[in-house]
Amino acid sequence: MIVIKFLAFGLLLLSLSFAQELISKRVSKTTLDPFDKVWDQAKEVEVPLSGQAVTTPMKLKPTVNAIRVKSVNDGKYIAFLLVWEDKTQDRFHLVDAFPDAVAIQIPYKPSSDVPVTMGDKGQRVLILHWTASREENLEHGYADVSKIYPNAVYDWYPHATPPHKYPEDWANQYALSYIGGEKVFRKNTLKTPVREIVAEGFGSTTWKDIQGAEGKGVYKDGKWYVVIRRAFVEENTSNPDWGPGKATFITFAVWDGSAGDVGARKVLSYSWITLKVE
Amino acid sequence: MKAYNWQLKREINYPYEVKRPKRQFAVVMDLNKCIACQTCTVACKTTWTPGRGQEYMLWNNVETKPYGFYPLGWDVRLLELLEGNKKTVFDAPEGERVLGWKPEDMDWMYPNIGEDEVNEPVDIGTVLESLPHPIWMFYLPRICNHCTYPACVAACPRQAIYKREEDGIVLIDPERCEGYQECVKACPYKKTMFNFVARISQKCIGCFPRVEEGLQPQCVITCIGKIRLMGFISPPEEAMPDNPIDFLVHIKKVALPLYPQSGLEPNVYYIPPINVPIKFLKQMFGDGAEHAVKTYMAMREGKEPELQALLHLFGSTPRIPYSFAVGPKEVIAYDEKGKEIVRVPLVEPLQSRPHKDERLEVVRQDIP
Repeated sequence: MIVIKFLAFGLLLLSLSFAQELISKRVSKTTLDPFDKVWDQAKEVEVPLSGQAVTTPMKLKPTVNAIRVKSVNDGKYIAFLLVWEDKTQDRFHLVDAFPDAVAIQIPYKPSSDVPVTMGDKGQRVLILHWTASREENLEHGYADVSKIYPNAVYDWYPHATPPHKYPEDWANQYALSYIGGEKVFRKNTLKTPVREIVAEGFGSTTWKDIQGAEGKGVYKDGKWYVVIRRAFVEENTSNPDWGPGKATFITFAVWDGSAGDVGARKVLSYSWITLKVE
Repeated sequence: MKAYNWQLKREINYPYEVKRPKRQFAVVMDLNKCIACQTCTVACKTTWTPGRGQEYMLWNNVETKPYGFYPLGWDVRLLELLEGNKKTVFDAPEGERVLGWKPEDMDWMYPNIGEDEVNEPVDIGTVLESLPHPIWMFYLPRICNHCTYPACVAACPRQAIYKREEDGIVLIDPERCEGYQECVKACPYKKTMFNFVARISQKCIGCFPRVEEGLQPQCVITCIGKIRLMGFISPPEEAMPDNPIDFLVHIKKVALPLYPQSGLEPNVYYIPPINVPIKFLKQMFGDGAEHAVKTYMAMREGKEPELQALLHLFGSTPRIPYSFAVGPKEVIAYDEKGKEIVRVPLVEPLQSRPHKDERLEVVRQDIP
């Protein structure tokens, strides 16, 4: 069956690409600009990606099959440049429309025994997830009703101020917590296009309490160029065991919005890549 | 996993182990009385979906059958997927958890399509003299069915949707939802909807804050035609004859589920419209349609006094009736503790007033 073929392919890749190694070059200053000259100092690694076929819903017909990665660090921050080919740029998360996205995954414990399928109970992973829709919100203003459906007419939103925040003393307290409360508002108004989530097994991803990751994505000539940057150690929260002079593991996932990719419908690297931080 | 579906009288595949809730939220709607005034739609919308990103959402909608749909073609596409009832939606293709289809945004933008349209063109001078009518249409009001085996719960890869144990109401956790819309694809009735401003999916919440207080939902109490009654349904082997929902669904079998072939065991039950041909009703409500129509017509001839009395309870009280009793002249509803909540006379009391009010020296205009 197709599922077994994919798993076999993934395991084959696992055995082949276990040798893959990403070195994070020590530089004086990291950057959020994907086209900065500092990236020339870093060695690129091309990581093959295959469709997610471990759990339903699966990605049985992937449209992206590789990602090129570079990394630099300045002792305090580590940044990754991620480049992949995508024929269309999808910058909106709408009814039946999903944004292009990329994520990197670092195990808390620097061991390849941590399951690459987003960790497991007691074996936590950190995931830094960039989406083109968050990038769009920050670059061109929040994608609100007037942007998405410019000709739509609506007469009255009782108490709702854009984007989708309701006053705390709104009379319908049940609707407040249910449809437009603080957590939903906060999820949608991050000041960065990258969100930090932790997971202990697929399906368990949870937003991290402190959101310190930064990023920038640029679409140019049929390719996405995305930088994701995070401090090695963020204050007042948990961090993976990584830093200058240490080695850990890393893996990647990509979503192609126009192919209906979201959540479990993605391509990923089934094997950990060694990450050596200079 | 195997799970028993009493509406289909067989086991279905379900990805989770399901324990039936302590009580199951259920609504009965009498389609012989719906006039598509849309008061229910407005009530729900004003209460729960007046926000940004929810403009197109109708958690309660009323569509005309045969040619109305919200979203477009939802039931026609469901029947196509089920391949003549060979499958339920849980017989999913490879790589998928639930068999479903994904509506585009424009599919939601025509909630009034086909409204009031009859099944075929009518010649001038046509008179409908027999039941069922050869030219027919009816209105179908719909809410989330709070199914026993929800497809939305099964489809969500993050388990952001759950079914409450205390009343069987199905809810999406807005903090956990990330807007993957797997539930939108999976729900055969298309009652989960994506909020494109908040970037999460939302659905009918069964007015759970009201239900927790012992009150019936907004769409039920505002119904002008008094076609709706909300209560709690028991599984068939535990049916209680004095529970209004059990009486209508399990005992008189006059209220039927919507497209039971989906396999989800939906918990909104319909008394089928007697003017519609049985073949269409069987497709929509299952094999019990003929018996339900016969029973309702017998009731109209006075042969079902208890059923006729119970229908008087519809729209008579905002409180949830847990049990009812029929007296010689009244029907009485009781709450959970057995305390009386409403008493409705079976025959509307006749009032007679003289044509001239002598005290005010005016003539009454509002009497024949």
